[in-house]
Amino acid sequence: MYRYDTIDQTLVAERVAQFRDQTRRFLAGQLSEDEFKPLRLRNGLYIQTHAPMLRVAVPYGLLSTRQLRMLAHLARKYDRGYGHFTTRQNIQYNWPKLEDVPDMLADLATVEMHAIQTSGNCIRNVTADHFAGIAPDEIDDPRPYCEIIRQWSTVHPEFNYLPRKFKIAVTGSPADRAASEVHDIGLHMRRNEAGEVGFEVLVGGGLGRTPIIGKVIREFLPREHLLSYLEAILRIYNREGRRDNIYKARIKILVKATGEVAFREAVEAEWALLRDTALRLDVAEIDRMRAFFVPLPYETLTDIDATAGREPEFAAWYRYNTRAHKMPGYRAVVVSLKAPEIAPGDITAAQMDDLAELADRISSGQVRSTHDQNLILGEVRQQDLYETWQGLSALGLATPNVGLLTDMICCPGLDFCSLANAGSIGIAKQINERFTDLDYLYDLGPLEIKMSGCMNACGHHHVGHIGILGVDKSGEEWYQITLGGSASGITSLGTVIGPSVAKAEVATTISKILDVYLAARQDEESFLQVFRRIGVQPFRDQVYATDH
Amino acid sequence: MRQIIKATQLLADEWPLPGEEASSTGAVRLTLIDYLAWCGGAALPGVPAGARVAVRLEPADDEADLLPYLGQLPLIDVHFPKSAEGRGYTQGRMLRERHGYTGELRASGAVFIDQIYLLARCGFDAFELAEGQDPQAVIAELQRFSVAYQPMVDGLTQPLRRHR
Repeated sequence: MYRYDTIDQTLVAERVAQFRDQTRRFLAGQLSEDEFKPLRLRNGLYIQTHAPMLRVAVPYGLLSTRQLRMLAHLARKYDRGYGHFTTRQNIQYNWPKLEDVPDMLADLATVEMHAIQTSGNCIRNVTADHFAGIAPDEIDDPRPYCEIIRQWSTVHPEFNYLPRKFKIAVTGSPADRAASEVHDIGLHMRRNEAGEVGFEVLVGGGLGRTPIIGKVIREFLPREHLLSYLEAILRIYNREGRRDNIYKARIKILVKATGEVAFREAVEAEWALLRDTALRLDVAEIDRMRAFFVPLPYETLTDIDATAGREPEFAAWYRYNTRAHKMPGYRAVVVSLKAPEIAPGDITAAQMDDLAELADRISSGQVRSTHDQNLILGEVRQQDLYETWQGLSALGLATPNVGLLTDMICCPGLDFCSLANAGSIGIAKQINERFTDLDYLYDLGPLEIKMSGCMNACGHHHVGHIGILGVDKSGEEWYQITLGGSASGITSLGTVIGPSVAKAEVATTISKILDVYLAARQDEESFLQVFRRIGVQPFRDQVYATDH
Repeated sequence: MRQIIKATQLLADEWPLPGEEASSTGAVRLTLIDYLAWCGGAALPGVPAGARVAVRLEPADDEADLLPYLGQLPLIDVHFPKSAEGRGYTQGRMLRERHGYTGELRASGAVFIDQIYLLARCGFDAFELAEGQDPQAVIAELQRFSVAYQPMVDGLTQPLRRHR
C-alpha cells in the first residue's frame, strides 16, 4: 500500500496545525459559528444532534492493521468505544468533543491518516472497488490512480470552494463494486486495442433528491491524462455549476441543464488547453505509484475444498462471506459488520484491535472497507479459512449474511444526524428482529436493502433492490419504499411502490414484497431479476391490498 | 485609509472602490462593464483624463474579456461577495497561468485569513481583507504550508513529480 514520504507527512502535520489554530480561534470567540463551519467541514467535523461527528478518510478503503489499531485507539480514547463505517469507505466517530478533534487528527497523522475533505463543498475521499488488486476479473489495479487522485485533490487551491460536494469513484473491473455510476465522476479502467491502460469517464451521476445515472463523456482516456481531464471537468463545474440553490448545485444538474453533448464539448475544449501542461503524468511517475501496490509475495498454492468435512455453519459462512481471489489457493473474506444486534457498519474498539491481530496473523496485515459497510481480509489462504471463521465468530464478525437481506446499508439517521427526517437504525433493528431465520434468507438469495433517513440518500436507497427512505409526515416518521434499484451490473434507480408506510409497518411491508417475489420466482431467479421481469405492479397490488 | 496586503507587506490602498471618485493620484477602479466601455472610447464621468484605470471582476464575469487589455492593467480585483464563492479562484488562475497577466491580482470582499493560502496559490498577490482580520496573522498564514501536491504558477514543490 502507499506509504507517506516526508512531503505527505509534512502536509498532514501542517494541516493539523492549521486546524488546531482554527479551533482555538473558534473556542476563543474570534471565529463565528458561520466562519468556522466551512473550515471544520473540510476537516471532517460536523456538528450533529448530540455531539460533533468526525469523519476520517480511508483512502479507497485500504487500511493497514497499524491504522486500524489507531482507529480503535481513537474510539476508545475520544469516543464511546466504537466507530461507524460509511457508504464511502470512511469511518465516523459520533461522540468526540470539539476541543479534542485537533488531537485526534494529530494521532491520525502518526499513522499516515487524515480527515481532510471528508465533508464540505470540495473533492471528497476517492473510493474504489474493495476487491482492487485481488479480483479475478480485474483489468488493472485502480489504487495507484486513486492515490494520484488523492494527492491531486488534497488542498487543491482552485477547487476547495465548489458549488457543492464532489465524489469520485474508480473501478478496475468490468463489474462495478464501487457504485461508480452514481458518483459525480466515475472512472472505469479499460484497455484499448493497443493494450494500453486508460479510463472510461462518466460524469454527473448521483443520488440525493435528483437521482441520476452518470453519462459516459469519454470512452477512453489514456492514463497519463487522468489529472488534466479531471481538472478540466472540475474547472467547468466550478465556473458553471449553480450556486443559487443547494439542491441544484451538484454537477449532475449542470450536465443535465447543459446537455451531455455540450458539456462534453466544453470539457474537451478545456482539456485541450490543459493536457500537455505540468498535470500530464509520465510513465515513470505512474510506475513509481504502482510500485506501492505490487502484489504480495503469494505462496504457490492450489485451490482446495475448504469446507470438506466441516460443519454446515462454516459452509454457510464460506458460501456467503468469502469471495474468489485471483491467486489459486486464496480467498477474500468479507467481515460482516451486520450482526443482527448492532447498527449496520458499527464496530467496537475491541473488535478493531482483535481484527487487526487476526489480519496480521492470517492475512496480509491489511484490511479493506467496503461501500456497503463491511470489512474485508483480502489475502487468506484457503487452508486458513476455518481458523479465520473461528476467529471472526469469536469476535461477532462472522454473521453469514453478506449479500443477503440483513446485510443492509444504513445511514446513521435521526439517531445521530441533524439532517435526517426519520430513523434508520431502528428500522434495521425491526428488520433484523423480523427476519431471523437464516434458511429463509438463504432461500431469498441475493437481496440488497438500502435505507436513508432523508433525501440526501447517504444510505443509497435509490439503488437498493429494496430501498427505504425516511420521510417526515407532520412530525411522524414514515417510510417510502422503492424497488428494483441496483448499483452493480446494470445500474438502475428504484421505482416508488406507492404511498409511504408507517414506521411499525416497514418489516411487514417487506414481508409482503418478498411473498410476491417467492410466488413469482422461476428457477433460480433473484429478486432483482423477478422485479425486472414482472415490474412494480404485482408488488404494489400486494402491499396496498385492502383486507376483505 | 483602507489597508491591503501586497507581496506580504501591509500597505495603504491607493485604489478607490468601484463607484468611488478617482484618487488624487488619478487612480480609479471600474466594474467590468464600465471598464470595457471605457476601453471602447466611452467617456465616463468618474474617469478623469490621464487616469490610471483598474478593473473589478465579479464571480460571473469572464476574465477572457480582458485579454486585449492585460498589458495595460495595473490591477485586476477579483471580488468575492461571499467566502463560499469559489469562481474567483479559477478566474485568478486563468489570468495568471493561461493568460500570463503580470500586474497586481487582488482578492477583495469576503476574504478571510483561512482562504489566503489557497488564493495565493491561485496567483493572487494582493488581499483586500474582510472586516476584523488581523493583517499580521494573515501575512503569517501565507506561509502555512511548505509543501503542496498541485503544480501551480507559484512553483511550490510538485510531489506528483517528486522523483525528478
